[in-house]
Amino acid sequence: MTYYLKATLQSLVREKWINLLSVLTIAMGLLIVSLVSVIVYNVDRATAKLPDTFSVTAYMKEDVSDAEAQQTVGVIRRNRNVENVRYISKAEALKELRKTLKDADYILEGLNEAPLPASLEIRLKRSSVQPESVKAFIADLRKMNGIEDIQYGEKLLSSIHSIRSGVRTAGIIFMVIMGAGITFICYSTVKILFYRRKEEIETLKLLGATRTFIRTPFVLEGSALGAAGGAAGLAVLFAFDVGLLRSLVSSVPLFGSVVFPTFLVPALPAAGLFLGFAGALIAIGRIRF
Amino acid sequence: MIHFDDVSKHYDTTFALRNITLSLEKGEMAFLTGPSGAGKTTLLKLIYAAEHPDSGRVTMAEWDSDHLDSATIPLLRRNVGIVFQDFRLLDNRNVFDNVALALRIRNISERDVKERVLDTLRMVNLRHKTDSFPPALSGGEQQRVVIARAIAGDPIMLLADEPTGNLDSDTAAGIMRIFKEINARGTTMVIATHNRELYRHTGMRVFRIDAGAIAGIDRG
Repeated sequence: MTYYLKATLQSLVREKWINLLSVLTIAMGLLIVSLVSVIVYNVDRATAKLPDTFSVTAYMKEDVSDAEAQQTVGVIRRNRNVENVRYISKAEALKELRKTLKDADYILEGLNEAPLPASLEIRLKRSSVQPESVKAFIADLRKMNGIEDIQYGEKLLSSIHSIRSGVRTAGIIFMVIMGAGITFICYSTVKILFYRRKEEIETLKLLGATRTFIRTPFVLEGSALGAAGGAAGLAVLFAFDVGLLRSLVSSVPLFGSVVFPTFLVPALPAAGLFLGFAGALIAIGRIRF
Repeated sequence: MIHFDDVSKHYDTTFALRNITLSLEKGEMAFLTGPSGAGKTTLLKLIYAAEHPDSGRVTMAEWDSDHLDSATIPLLRRNVGIVFQDFRLLDNRNVFDNVALALRIRNISERDVKERVLDTLRMVNLRHKTDSFPPALSGGEQQRVVIARAIAGDPIMLLADEPTGNLDSDTAAGIMRIFKEINARGTTMVIATHNRELYRHTGMRVFRIDAGAIAGIDRG
């Protein structure tokens, strides 16, 4: 192992310019990947809160009695998509309206009966807050007796889901493309180093070196370049976080809930190492004797 | 130790070796001689599996050219020390590391590597050049580094291709003295050379190769 490490270190120093260039290119690539990760992560995080606030309001028909309404509540509760149901009677609805209007509740004076219909506030399970399952649930709800009207943020729900899946898909495609690009950079670097040391490799083969003995320093070198690129990318990302993102978070309301994903700290050098390893392995290919 | 059984080798349409049959005993020192392009280097390459015979069979100790693959070739080569005609020294590594390479590929511990390299360099009178790099050495010194690298791993056989090609007669005589010492330890040796002085009065077998065939076997 000492030999492998020494040989790798010697080559890294001997070919310092080409290696430095590769590290910077990998760092740039991984930095772009990590910025995309920050966006995807935050969009995902923001939209993940949607199921907690999402609810369906079903307004009851005028002629439905409290007993009939409670019967409907029981049926809805048994639905596997439902987390809980709250029945709001006409009286309760009026009470809440008064609370909302506060000092302006004189508007309601003179009314002989409660102006708002009784309603059901239905919260769905987190896993069921998906455009398709919500649509199916609403269709079932419409078929029930005593339901007059249903309100839920249909457009908001589908547009948030579209944004979420769109950002996710685009992010993954982009990361795969960038990953392939970084692998290619490591591949090219190791290939160049491999060709530059072709005679040395030939000599090693003639002396009886095994494939592993020949390959290992190159694979270590590719991995080291990738990891160094990842670490350099991470350093720039930290600078971006400290220098720009944190001040945006504290001063611009739009960025108020943006957070720096901490998983990037180990992930970036690890991704660089893996891509460098893969690139080196492909570059060396099959050594023939 | 080495057997060539009706071995032929050609490059494109040119025959490099034609129906070679020969045997070398364990511990023997033999010479290959003949004009340039006669096939001496090809014959050596067939022994260390840098070339594969087109027909016939080469056996070296327990290895057989018909059953060699990429897993067994390195093992065979570790048992053969090679003194290459073009030296094949690594210019970016010093004398110590060039010789140590032959041991490191055998996964020998660094402590033993150090001891064995220094012993071998002492044997070829290059102990004082440990830290020098090949370009800074004379032809004779480079040749001795190559010999040191070839014998450091204690191979059962040593092959030398024109080991005194560009050396003056005194240096060549020094190299030959080293070879005799190595052979005296029981290492089988095959030396390909133009230089008659190397094998004269040795009493060893000399295979005369001409146009890829054995033209005769003499005693030096």
